[in-house]
Amino acid sequence: MSSRIPLVPENAVPLPSLKANNGLLSWVSSIDHKQIGIMYLIITLIYFLLGGLEALLIRVQLAHPGNDFLTPELYNQLFTMHGTTMIFFVVMPFLIGVGVYLLPLMIGARDMAFPRLNALSFWLFFFGGILLYYSFFTQSGAPDVGWFAYAPLSEKPFSLNKGPTYWALGLLASGIGSVASGLNNVVTILTMRTPGMTMRRIPLFVWMMLVTSLLLVFVIPIITAAFAMMLLDSILGATFFTPAHGGSAILWQHFFWGFGHPEVYILILPAFGIISEVIPVFSRKPIYGYEFVAASTVAIGLLSLGVWAHHMFAVGLGNAANAYFSLASMLIAIPTGVKVLNWVATMWGGRINFATPMLFGTAFIIEFVVGGLTGVAIASVPIDWVVTDSYFIVAHFHYAIFGGSVFAIFAGVYYWFPKFTGRMLSETLGKWHFWLTVIGFNMTFFIQHFLGVMGMPRRTYTYYDMPYWGSMNLISTIGAMILGLSVLIFVWNILVSLRHGRPAGDNPWNAWTLEWATTSPPAVENFELVPPVRGRRPLWDLAHPDMPDEPGAKTV
Amino acid sequence: MSVLHFLGTAWSFEPWAVIFALALIASYAALPGSRLNGKSLLFASGIFLMVLALVSPLDYLGRNYLFSAHMVQHILLLLVIPLMLLSGIPEKAAEKALALPIAGGVMKFLGNPIPAWLLGVGSMWVWHMPSLHDTVMKNENLYIAQQISFVLTGVIFWWPVFAPVKSGRLAPLAATLYLASACLGCTILGMLITFAGAGLYPAYANPADPAGILSYIRNDLCITPGVDQQIGGLTMWVPGCLIYLAASMVTIARWYASPEPDTVNIPAGEGSIAKAGSYVRD
Repeated sequence: MSSRIPLVPENAVPLPSLKANNGLLSWVSSIDHKQIGIMYLIITLIYFLLGGLEALLIRVQLAHPGNDFLTPELYNQLFTMHGTTMIFFVVMPFLIGVGVYLLPLMIGARDMAFPRLNALSFWLFFFGGILLYYSFFTQSGAPDVGWFAYAPLSEKPFSLNKGPTYWALGLLASGIGSVASGLNNVVTILTMRTPGMTMRRIPLFVWMMLVTSLLLVFVIPIITAAFAMMLLDSILGATFFTPAHGGSAILWQHFFWGFGHPEVYILILPAFGIISEVIPVFSRKPIYGYEFVAASTVAIGLLSLGVWAHHMFAVGLGNAANAYFSLASMLIAIPTGVKVLNWVATMWGGRINFATPMLFGTAFIIEFVVGGLTGVAIASVPIDWVVTDSYFIVAHFHYAIFGGSVFAIFAGVYYWFPKFTGRMLSETLGKWHFWLTVIGFNMTFFIQHFLGVMGMPRRTYTYYDMPYWGSMNLISTIGAMILGLSVLIFVWNILVSLRHGRPAGDNPWNAWTLEWATTSPPAVENFELVPPVRGRRPLWDLAHPDMPDEPGAKTV
Repeated sequence: MSVLHFLGTAWSFEPWAVIFALALIASYAALPGSRLNGKSLLFASGIFLMVLALVSPLDYLGRNYLFSAHMVQHILLLLVIPLMLLSGIPEKAAEKALALPIAGGVMKFLGNPIPAWLLGVGSMWVWHMPSLHDTVMKNENLYIAQQISFVLTGVIFWWPVFAPVKSGRLAPLAATLYLASACLGCTILGMLITFAGAGLYPAYANPADPAGILSYIRNDLCITPGVDQQIGGLTMWVPGCLIYLAASMVTIARWYASPEPDTVNIPAGEGSIAKAGSYVRD
C-alpha cells in the first residue's frame, strides 16, 4: 500500500517535493486517516508489550511471600507505569486509532473532517508517551505514585522525585491530542456522511464512537486542569491540594475521578461498538435491537458523568452522598444489561461462525459480565468498604478493561486486519492465541477476587506468608505467564501474516458495512464509488435488492 | 408533637396556590377546541401534584425545617409538574392557541432553545443564591413569586423538547444536547451545594421549630444541618439529572419510532463519490 501514499491536497503551485513514495517520511508527514490509524495501532502495540512486561515483573515479584526480586522503589514505579501505560497509551489510543481508520470508511467519506488535526492528535499522543517513558532514564526514576497519583501525596513533601511531573506533562500532552481527536470524530460523523447514511443508519461502532468522542471532549479538560494545578504546585510552589495553605486534600480525587469514571466508558464504549459489529456478522443476522443498543449508549454516556464519587466511598463524604452515588452507579447496569441482552439475542438462532473474531467477541460478553457484576457489587457502599484497595478491585477492573476492552480489541484486530493489510491473520495461531488468553486471563485474575476478600491489599510490594496467599499468588503469576505467551503468539501471528497471510479480498467475512465495499487495503481515496445507502446494511441491500432491510428502500 | 399528628396538621391551604391552580385550569379550558381525554387526565394530575406540593407538609418542612424538603419540592415544581402540564396540552388546541397573535409571538421567542435553556437552568441557579434564598424564606410575596416562577420557567424549559406542536421541537440530537447541557448546569449547582461547607443556607441551621418536631428530625432521623444540605444538593444533582436523562431517552426513542424517512432520495442503483464535506441533513 506504500505505493499509494497521499500527502497534501493538490496545490496550484506544486509544493516542494516531500513525495518520497514510501519510507519513513511518507508516514511521518502523513495526514491520511488510514496511515495515521495504522501508526496508532503500531505504537499502541509497542506500549502494550511494554505495559505487559511491567505487569509480568510485578507478578514475578508477587509470586511468593517475602520475595525480593524487585526493590520496593522499582515496584512502585512499575505498577504506576503499568496502569498509566495500559489506560492512556494502549487501550484509549488503540480505540481512537481504530476509530480514525474506520470512521471515514464506515460512513463513506474520503477522510476525517480535519486531517491535519488528526495528525496533530497522533503526534501529541506519541510524544506524550515518550515524555512519560523518558522518566525511566532520569535520576529519580519513573513516577511511583499509582496511576491516579493522589495529590497531595504525589507532591512535596510526601513524594520528592520528579516522576509525577513527567507523568503530568506526558498525560497533559496526550490528553490535548485526545480532545482534538474527540472533536474531529464528532465533526466527521455529523458532517461527512455519504448521502443516505443518516444518523439512524450509521453502524453501531460509529454511534459508540460518537458518544465516546463527546465524552472525550467533555471530560479530558477536567483532568487537564488538574494536571495544570499539579504542575503549578510542583514547579511554582502553588498549594491547590495542601489544606494547610488553603487547598483541599480531596480536590484532586474529585477532579481525577470526575474524569476517571467517564474514562472507563471511553475505554469500553468503542469496545461495545466493535462487538456490535462482529457479533451480527458472525451470527449472520442483523443486530437485534439496533435502537436499544444506540440509545443505551447515550444513557451510559450521560450516567457516567455523575457517578465518580463511587471511587471515593472510603473518603468520608457522608452517608447521604454515598447512598446517592451508590444508587446512581447501580443504574448504569441497566443500559449495560440492555446491550448484553441484545448481543445474546443477536446470536440466538443465528448461524454462528466461531472464527477467531467471534471467539473473542463471545468471550468478551462472558468476561465483561463478570467485571460488570463485581462492579454492581462494589457499587454497594458496605461491600466497597470491605474490599476497597484490595485485590478484589484489581480483579474487578481487569475483568472490565482486559476481559472487556482488550478482548474486544483482539476481536477487532482479527476482524479488520484483512481490511488494514489485505491479508488474513492465521486462524490456527489465532485459536492458540484465543485459548491461551482465556486460560491465562482467568487464571491470573479470577483468583484475585478471593485474595482481595481475604484481605490482600493492592499496590503492595510483598506480603507475609498468610494461609493460601502464597499458592494463590503463584497461580496468578503462572496465569500471567500464559497470558504473556499468548501475546507473543499474537505478535508472531501479525508478523507472519503480514508477509505470508492468505490474501483477503475486499470482503472476506461477507460483512455488510461500507468499509468492506472497498479494496483491502483501501486506496488513498477510500472509495471509487460509494455504494448507495438505503439501510443499515448497505452491502446486504446491494446483494439482495429484492429483500432490502428497509422495505421502503426497495428500488426497481 | 407526634409525626403522624404533624403530617395530619401541617397542611396550609394557601389561597394563592389554589388561585394559581384554578388560573391554569381556566386557561387550559379556554384553549380553543380542548376537550376531556387522556391528555386532560395528565394535565389534571399535574395540577393535583402541584397543589399537593404547595400545600402539603412537604411545603411546611421546606419553609421551616429542611433544605432537602425544599429541594424535593423544587424538583417537582421545576421539572416534573411542568412536564406533566405541557404533555397534557392537546396538539390541535395548542396549534390554534399559537395562531393567536400574542400567545404565538411570546412562545415564538420564549420557546427558542437559548431563552428556554437560560430560564430553565437560570431559575435553579438564581433562586439558590444563598442570600436570595434567605430573603425569600422571610418574605411571603417573594416566596409566592418564586414558586410560580418555578412552574412557569419549567414549562418554558421543556417547550423545545416536548412542545405540543411538533414545529416547536428541536431535532432529536439537538434536543439531547440541550438536555445534556442542562443536566450539566444542574449537576454543577448540585455539586456546589453538596460539597460546600454546612450552613450555606443559614435559615435551616437553627429553625424556629414552630411545630415542635426539630428534636425528632435532629435526634431520631439524625439529619443535621450539614446532612440536610447534602441531601438537598444530591437531590438536585442525581434525581434531577436522571429526569433530564430520561427525557433524552424519550427523545431518542421518539426519533427511532418516527416513521418519516430522514433521508435524501438516492436514485436507483447509483452510488456516489466520497468527498470531503458531503453533508447529509437529518
